[in-house]
Amino acid sequence: MARLRVIFESGEPERVIEFSPSQAPFQHDGRPGSILDVLLGHGVPLEHACGGNCACTTCHVIVKQGFDKLSEAEEREEDMLDRAPGLTPTSRLGCQAVIEDDDAEIVIVVPRYTINQQVADSRS
Amino acid sequence: MERITYTATIERIVEHDVDTRSLFLRLPAKTAFTFTPGQFISVAIPLPNENRVRPYTIASSPGDDGPLEIVLDLVPGGAGSEYLFARTVGDRLNFTGPFGLFTLERPPDIETIFAAEATAIAPIRPMLHRALAQPSTVPLKLFHAARTRKELLYADEFQATARRYANFSYEPILAQPPAGWSGRSGTVMEHIRALFVDGDARRDRAFYLCGVGNGVIELRDLLRKAGYPRRAVQYERW
Repeated sequence: MARLRVIFESGEPERVIEFSPSQAPFQHDGRPGSILDVLLGHGVPLEHACGGNCACTTCHVIVKQGFDKLSEAEEREEDMLDRAPGLTPTSRLGCQAVIEDDDAEIVIVVPRYTINQQVADSRS
Repeated sequence: MERITYTATIERIVEHDVDTRSLFLRLPAKTAFTFTPGQFISVAIPLPNENRVRPYTIASSPGDDGPLEIVLDLVPGGAGSEYLFARTVGDRLNFTGPFGLFTLERPPDIETIFAAEATAIAPIRPMLHRALAQPSTVPLKLFHAARTRKELLYADEFQATARRYANFSYEPILAQPPAGWSGRSGTVMEHIRALFVDGDARRDRAFYLCGVGNGVIELRDLLRKAGYPRRAVQYERW
């Protein structure tokens, strides 16, 4: 079984998911077996405004452990990540990073902020 | 950051084709909603057992004070499009946004090529409005490819824009054109390659590419490998 530990910068309690990568997909959004797929399929929310299509950075996560156990990022993900707020050397998009290894021990941090969205305030 | 959820009313529906339509979404008066040309909204799709979100690019322009226009194709089995095709005028939709980094914020100062297929024209339309917002002599070219004339959305508008602005040209492309077609035929890839890769050695152009599927990725690779700077080739693949 692979293990995915999720730390939320917002202070929400961390979650640990044990799963078998070969059983992916776990739901409908993101690449099958991606961090987004695993989280959503196990009841752990992760924002994904574009539906998991690599068209925004709202599912940006920082990988603290197991970076080399994830599928390699394609140019499209790199192009998108380049413009992600709070980018780190081990940043990935949750919808694109696939956990392939059955023994993977992955730890990720979900950043508190994303400024991908322009915040609109109501004048009323 | 807590997202603001907007609730809009469907004010109008325009059928472009049997399986393609525009929804015009009216926000309540005094709602401040701003976006950059090219961005999308993330529409809540309430399903019996879960809530999903699906992205829809805004095809209208910021600041025009009209409703937000989204364009969609009916995708058989697609939860989002089947839900939205079942909506009628007066229904409400919830969404968050805007999102997306495939944007054009200011009129370009080098020759700029826009290329899209079918409904992927949605982000390009407000980009063009923005690009033409100031008088300019910088060449702007739109290549819009489709299977049929009906899929060439906004063709009349683009033709009118081309007549009005000397620096803008509209190049519709049909894969298999009917008799009497005066536009280009074939694929967007063939024309971009012939004109901007094989056609000359200039590499001082910018590109905005949008499409569904891998074609847009192939186009990106063609241009970047041909020597165009990475950042000069912006794209969105759905």
